[in-house]
Amino acid sequence: MILALFLLVSIFSTSLAQGPTLVLLDNQVIRETHSIFFKSLQERGYTLTFKIADDASLALSKYGEHLYKNLIIFAPAVEEFGGMLNVETITQFIDDGGNVLIAGSSITGDVLRELASECGFEVDEEGTFVIDHLNYDVTDQGQHTKLVVPSDFLIDAPVIVGVNKDVAPLLYQGTGILADPENPLVLPLLTADSTAYSYNPEQPIKEYPHAAGKDTVLIAALQARNNARVVFSGSIAFFSDEYFESPVKKAHGGLEAAKSGNEAVAVAISKWVFKEHGQLRVKSVKHHKVGESVPPQAYTIMEDVVYTTEIEILENGQWKPYTADDVQLEFVRIDPFVRTTMKRKPSGEYEARFRIPDVYGVYQFKVEYDRVGYTRLYNSTLVSVRPLQHTQYERFIVSAYPYYTGAFSMMLGVFVFSFVFLHMKDDEKKSKKE
Amino acid sequence: MLLLTCLRRTKTKNFYNEYVNKTPKKLKVIDAYLLYILLSGIVQFVYCLLVGTFPFNSFLSGFICCVSSFVLAVCLRLQVNQENKVDFAGITPERAYADFIFAQLVLHLVVMNFIG
Repeated sequence: MILALFLLVSIFSTSLAQGPTLVLLDNQVIRETHSIFFKSLQERGYTLTFKIADDASLALSKYGEHLYKNLIIFAPAVEEFGGMLNVETITQFIDDGGNVLIAGSSITGDVLRELASECGFEVDEEGTFVIDHLNYDVTDQGQHTKLVVPSDFLIDAPVIVGVNKDVAPLLYQGTGILADPENPLVLPLLTADSTAYSYNPEQPIKEYPHAAGKDTVLIAALQARNNARVVFSGSIAFFSDEYFESPVKKAHGGLEAAKSGNEAVAVAISKWVFKEHGQLRVKSVKHHKVGESVPPQAYTIMEDVVYTTEIEILENGQWKPYTADDVQLEFVRIDPFVRTTMKRKPSGEYEARFRIPDVYGVYQFKVEYDRVGYTRLYNSTLVSVRPLQHTQYERFIVSAYPYYTGAFSMMLGVFVFSFVFLHMKDDEKKSKKE
Repeated sequence: MLLLTCLRRTKTKNFYNEYVNKTPKKLKVIDAYLLYILLSGIVQFVYCLLVGTFPFNSFLSGFICCVSSFVLAVCLRLQVNQENKVDFAGITPERAYADFIFAQLVLHLVVMNFIG
C-alpha cells in the first residue's frame, strides 16, 4: 500500500517536472497511430491531455493563468479550433513562453496555415505534397510523395536533432514549408533534396512551385525572442508509428535501412521544443578589481578588472555547469571598448581579466550568447568608470624635468632681473645727477 | 644689388649704434631679460617636439610660463620707457614695477598648481 502510494507520488512529481501538455487531435485514431511518440513523451514525465481539436471545452488559460506549458497540435485537417482556442490565443500562449509542436499534412487547414505564418513559416496550399522523383521510398504509391531524406539534410545542431547525426534515413510525406532565410529566429530543421518541389501531384504544373529544391523546408523551428519554441512539421506521418517502425529503401537503390531514423529525430525534436535540451541560464555574475573581492562604487580608468560569471545548462531536469569555449564578454560604452573570450576555470566559472580603457563614462559588462538551438543569453551589468582623482596623478615625471626647470628658471629670472633692475635705477639717477 | 645690400648693412649698423648709444640702460636690462625668456621658451618647445607631449600639463605650464613672463616684461618695458610717458601719464616706473611683480606672483602660483 505504502509502496503504491510512494510510486504514485513519484510519478506525480516527475510528471509535474515536465509540465502539463495539451494534445489536440483530429480524431482519436491519431492517438493510436502515433502511440510510440506519445508514449515516449509520457515516459519522460509529461502529462498529456488529449482533446479533439474542435472540442467546445478547449481552453489554454483559466483566470489569466495558463493551464499548460506545452501544446501539441496533431490535427492537420482542423478548420477552426473549438472553445476558447484560436490563432490569437495560441500566439498569446507563445508570447507568454509556451512551447508548441504543430504537424501539418497535405490537407493543412487555414487556421494552422495562419498560425504558421504568425511564427514566420509559409505553408503551401491545400492538396500539395513535397514531390521528389529521385528520392522516394519503394513503398510509394506512385506519386513520389513518400520521400526518403538522408540525415545529412538535418540542421547541423546536435542540441536540436540529436547528438548522433548518422541516424538512418528519414521518411517524410506531407506539404512543404517556406522559411524566410532573413529571419534569424527561424531555423530549417530538415530540408528536402535539390530535386524536390512542392506541388499538387494531381495537377499538371502550370506555375512555379511554392517551394523548390533545398529551399523546401520539411520541418521548421522558431525560437522566439522570449525563448519560447515552436516546431512546425509539414508531415504528421513523420511522427507516426508506421514511419517509426518501417524499413527504408530508396527506389533505384542507394539508401537503405531496416528501421527509419524518424523515431530518434522526432524524440530529439520533442526534447528540444519542450525545453529539455538547450536551456541555458546565467547563475551568477561577479566583478571586482584584481586582488579584491567586492565591486567598488566606481572603477577608475586603467584599472585591472576581473569579471566572472556562471552559466548553467538544464540536463535531465537539473542545472549543471555549462561547458563552452566561445563565451565572450564585452565592455560597452555605446560601442564595445573591450571584447574578450572568457576562460573557463575548473570550478565551472567563466572568467575574463582586462584593463579598463583610458576613457571614463558609464559602461556595461555584457555577455551575449546566442547559439543555434540554445536559449539566448543576455546579461548586462552597469558600472561607472571615473577619471583619476587629483591626488592619483603621477608626480615628478622624468621627461617633464625640463619644464620644471623652465618654470623655476623663470622664477629665478624674475628675482635676478628685479635685483638688477632696482639697482640699475640708482645708477641711472646717479648718472642723471652727474 | 650691391648698393641695396650696402644700404641694408648701413641701416642695421645705424640701428645697432642708435640702440647702444641712445637706449637707456634700464631698458637694455629688460631686453636682456626678454632674450633670456625667449631662448628658454624656444628650448622647451623644441624639447616638446623631440620628446612628445606626454606630460602635457607640464609642457603647457612650462611653456606658457615663458610666454606670460615675456608678455609681462614687454608691458613693463612699455610703461617704464620715458618716450611713452604721454600714454602712461598716471603710472610711475615704481608703480609699473610693483604691478609687474604682482602679476608675476599670480602667474607663478598658477603655474605651480598646473605643472603637476
